[in-house]
Amino acid sequence: MTASLRLRLLVGAMLAIFLALALAWVGLIFLFRNHAIEREVRILVRHAERLVADVTINSSGMPQVHGEQQDPRFTEIASGLYWQISAPNTVLHSPSLWDQSLPRPTDAISKRWTHRIIPGPYADHLLIVTRRVQIGTDGPILIIQVAEPDTDIEQSNREFGAQLAVSLFVLWVVLAIAAYMQVTLGLRPLVRLRSEMDRLRKSPAARLTTGYPAEILPLITAINALAEARESDLARARRRAADLAHSLKTPLAVLSAQSRKARTSGAVIAADGLDRAIAVVGAALETELTRARSAAARAAVETTAQSIAFTMAERVISVIERTERGENIIFDTNIPPDLVLPVAEEDLAEILGALTENAAHHARRHVRLVGVPNGLRIEDDGPGIALDRMERAVKRGQRLDEAGTGHGLGLSIVRDLIEATEGDVAFDHSELGGLSVTLTWTPRV
Amino acid sequence: MRVLLAEDDPDLADDLKRQFMAVGFITDLATDGEQAWYCGDIEDYDIAILDLGLPKLDGLSILRRWRSGGRTFPVLILTARGDWTEKVEGIEAGADDYLAKPFQLGELIARMRGLIRRAAGLTSPLVSLGSLALDTNRMVVEIQGVSVRLSALEYRLIDYLVHQAGRVVSATEIAEHLYGFGDQTDANTIEALIARVRRKIGADKIETRRGLGYRLTGAHE
Repeated sequence: MTASLRLRLLVGAMLAIFLALALAWVGLIFLFRNHAIEREVRILVRHAERLVADVTINSSGMPQVHGEQQDPRFTEIASGLYWQISAPNTVLHSPSLWDQSLPRPTDAISKRWTHRIIPGPYADHLLIVTRRVQIGTDGPILIIQVAEPDTDIEQSNREFGAQLAVSLFVLWVVLAIAAYMQVTLGLRPLVRLRSEMDRLRKSPAARLTTGYPAEILPLITAINALAEARESDLARARRRAADLAHSLKTPLAVLSAQSRKARTSGAVIAADGLDRAIAVVGAALETELTRARSAAARAAVETTAQSIAFTMAERVISVIERTERGENIIFDTNIPPDLVLPVAEEDLAEILGALTENAAHHARRHVRLVGVPNGLRIEDDGPGIALDRMERAVKRGQRLDEAGTGHGLGLSIVRDLIEATEGDVAFDHSELGGLSVTLTWTPRV
Repeated sequence: MRVLLAEDDPDLADDLKRQFMAVGFITDLATDGEQAWYCGDIEDYDIAILDLGLPKLDGLSILRRWRSGGRTFPVLILTARGDWTEKVEGIEAGADDYLAKPFQLGELIARMRGLIRRAAGLTSPLVSLGSLALDTNRMVVEIQGVSVRLSALEYRLIDYLVHQAGRVVSATEIAEHLYGFGDQTDANTIEALIARVRRKIGADKIETRRGLGYRLTGAHE
């Protein structure tokens, strides 16, 4: 039960609604019974008042009832409708009572009509109205009683109770459904929160949106503050790792110098060992830097970073055409100037740099960069035999740490960056004769 | 050959200087940015080896100052970082080549020789032709005072067309000049190169004579 907030709220609501409806059932039955009794009392009082109108006192001071019985049930034995007039020394009653009599009240009798339920003849319970009457100023005090069994009242009360129970049960079901919907609606922001938390877990740069109900908003603010702290911690750690890696590169170059010195002074074995160690450390540093770069690219996916493909392609080409290999290659670009890719500039520079350099490396004369919808295609006129090798190196390729330094690492950076920026890469044969690499990204909404 | 070596790490600097001297380069060492800028500004070097992470004044700033001050000697950048953004920034600041640490000494020296050779091959510093002016040292073409940087290949193409002033040159002839006699480069490749150069210097500067070849139009202006 404690595991689910929804179940807790739902069970609570259903129990509360059930209790409220049960109380309502009891209360309504009570009111209905009172109402039924009042109605019967009014009828009995009407009978009684007509009876009083027929009563006279004879010369010997005894009460007498004149005229016909107003209701035939007064004449039928045990019919269910009875009257009784009690004087100090005599008792008159309706023929329907036969040899029975109504119990005389023991307490003081009011001059107004009062009613009560009493055990009576011919029935378990009788509803009886009673009043004290004095005919004339000096006549005897008469106690007028008219009664009938409460069987009808009890019967209609039971029927009403049963019908009410069915109605209230239906109402309970409807209210339970409403409670379910209410709970579901009320908890919906939490469902959204859960999916947003997933995004937050995947990317340190992600934040929760603030369109939440006021009750949850402080929690959202606190979580976002935590995410902020986590992101800056991560960024700091990455920066430190990158700084550390960079700061080790100059000492590595120095070590290379020492190794050369050792070699020229005849310590060839020592120099070889030193060179091997330098190569291993160098590769580890490159791997670490690549990791830092991919992590930064992954974080940038959440931001609105973007690059103009044409500008970046031209800038990268301007570097490659200055290299020994690139200076004899014709770089041909056909990229719409308004083609914008959802990748941070430094990441696109890395991806395009490595792929264009690779194309220039294999090309005979010609490298072409073409804009495609949401992406770029890089083609060369090389022998084009490297299709499966490229696919292995870039797509399914080795893990970074296995790739080693040099060419392979450049391409595995590409793979990592394309993955990190949620892009896709496809290989094909180019119409120029060599390899065609197509990069695409899903545009951000 | 005079080399300016701007490197702040004493061990690496000493070793490089010794190695440079061993292959016949006379080397001046600058150990901070200000000193490096000053040396490059007043002395004529055949090449400068510039570490980007220098104290006092960073390598890119030095390079920009040299270039805006008209210093045209080739510059090879050395840096601890090796990413493309930095390569692009270096080249855009006016560097001619780029090497990331740690590097092989042999590669550094080979690249230095390549840069020196390339700069030395371009003897006449300025060739003017109509609205076009070629700065052969920086491999820059100036169009009405605005410099446009060209790749070596593009530069060789314009240089060739300038020297054929007014003559229509076929794609085959251009390919032979750029790549050597008997080259199999097809006309489409040369067309791509022409298109690229046109985009840089203006489409009207190179005229296409259908079925014949190309002609630089600036010669008659």
